[in-house]
Amino acid sequence: MRIVLEAAVLGVLTGGVYALMASGLTLIFGVMRIINVGQGALVILGAYLSFALSRSIHLDPFLTLIVTMPVMFLLGIGLQFVFIRPLKTDREALSVLITYAIALGIEGVLGFFFTTNYIELRAWYETASFAIFGFHVTWVYVFGFLLCLAILGALFVLLYRTSFGAALRATMLNRTAAQLVGVDVDRVSALAFGIGVATAAAGGVVFGVTNAFNPGSHYDLISRLLSIIVLGGLGSLRGAIIAALIMLVTTDIAAVVISPVWASFVFFIILVLVLIVRPQGLYGVRVRERI
Amino acid sequence: MAGLLELERVTAGYGGGDILHELDLSVEDGGITCIVGPNGAGKSTILRVVSGLLRPRLGAIRFRGASIVGLTPRAILQRGIVQVPQERSLFPTMTVWENVRMGAYTERDQRLIDRRLEEVCEAFTVVRERRDEPAASLSGGQQKIVEFARALMLDPALVILDEPSMGLDPKTRSTVFETIRAMNRAGRTILLVEQNARSGLGLASHGVVLESGRVRLEGDGPAVLNNPEISRLYLGATA
Repeated sequence: MRIVLEAAVLGVLTGGVYALMASGLTLIFGVMRIINVGQGALVILGAYLSFALSRSIHLDPFLTLIVTMPVMFLLGIGLQFVFIRPLKTDREALSVLITYAIALGIEGVLGFFFTTNYIELRAWYETASFAIFGFHVTWVYVFGFLLCLAILGALFVLLYRTSFGAALRATMLNRTAAQLVGVDVDRVSALAFGIGVATAAAGGVVFGVTNAFNPGSHYDLISRLLSIIVLGGLGSLRGAIIAALIMLVTTDIAAVVISPVWASFVFFIILVLVLIVRPQGLYGVRVRERI
Repeated sequence: MAGLLELERVTAGYGGGDILHELDLSVEDGGITCIVGPNGAGKSTILRVVSGLLRPRLGAIRFRGASIVGLTPRAILQRGIVQVPQERSLFPTMTVWENVRMGAYTERDQRLIDRRLEEVCEAFTVVRERRDEPAASLSGGQQKIVEFARALMLDPALVILDEPSMGLDPKTRSTVFETIRAMNRAGRTILLVEQNARSGLGLASHGVVLESGRVRLEGDGPAVLNNPEISRLYLGATA
């Protein structure tokens, strides 16, 4: 029982990190109806930026976010302006190809500068832990979880307590109607892409302090993130958070109860079962095709 | 007398094809102009070019004598033209109150916004009665009324309505048409596109029959309604 509880706690802590990474992905989908398959690579880019800063100026990895989040926000706006905005037709399909190309580009650049060897973000507290219910929890997971909670909280405040957030939600819910009430949907789209990429920076630093990574780590990451936003419902922030927790808690518990080999499989059984009952995902909105 | 809104030799369309062909149209100040015509005639395309959602390929569009071609939907809204689109356009998971407030998204004067909210609550009681409920929980007719309330938050000079009666039962439809009359009596010019030609033209001070992107006939609403050819072509089957 203790080992299951330990796995569940770890699942919640790492689930928060995945919730943050997936929130950027689902936000971008909600506003622009595009699937940014480059989100995983952007997370890894964020991790490498933090790595470079912490190594060169000896900053704590979490403090590097003061620099990396604004940089990644601006990078996101630039990527949206150059690659996404010009797409006028067949956006959903073309965006998958373009963002995949962006991912490959990021992987290539990172491989050139940092090689393909695995690295980790180092912090003085990376092995420090505390005991709870008879098992040890590493502080770095708690810090990462709290950071993710803080950023997700800020995201919710932005979305539900500001005029810009109302415009962003309106654009997610009905783009044409948003235009007709005066929302500049191009500007909102660019800022939403920037915010989505900035969350990748934050996700990257937490991913980097809890996992070894290399430029190719984004493949596994994006498959997990896509599974999360499909389970949660495309475009739903709440759905992404709940689905991330479900994914990480079930896989961590399955890993200790059954076997690590079957851990991901258990999650995918849950995913398939949910999609049979609710094809739109847990919090998604069902869209009827017009004939 | 020059109209409040004037379209002159407007050509517009999507992709490679044109829907509107050198169309001329004038919307008189203070009246209700109703455009009718078969599917594909270009009715909704006219509204899209006026509200800035679609840029015309050729021609001029003037509002109060000034060109609005090439302006963004936001800039056109700020000049006093507001459109209520054909399909349900409320933001479904936002509350009724949030939806109505979104109507004043471009307005920064909070006191003015509060005053307008009071006014629309007076005119449309459903806004106050259902203010904290998600818009999606309202009936089709109530949603349309809330869309009207949202449209009036900027106190527009011209209200464009795209098939407001679509998908509504007869009783709700008459409520919606009565609301349109009331908006007009309050001094707003209405440009209406309506599939239900008899109801639309019955309401209108000026009727326009559109066919293949051109004006086939226009005149006083009742005169267009009673035109034998128009009755045969567009009203016979729906009478």
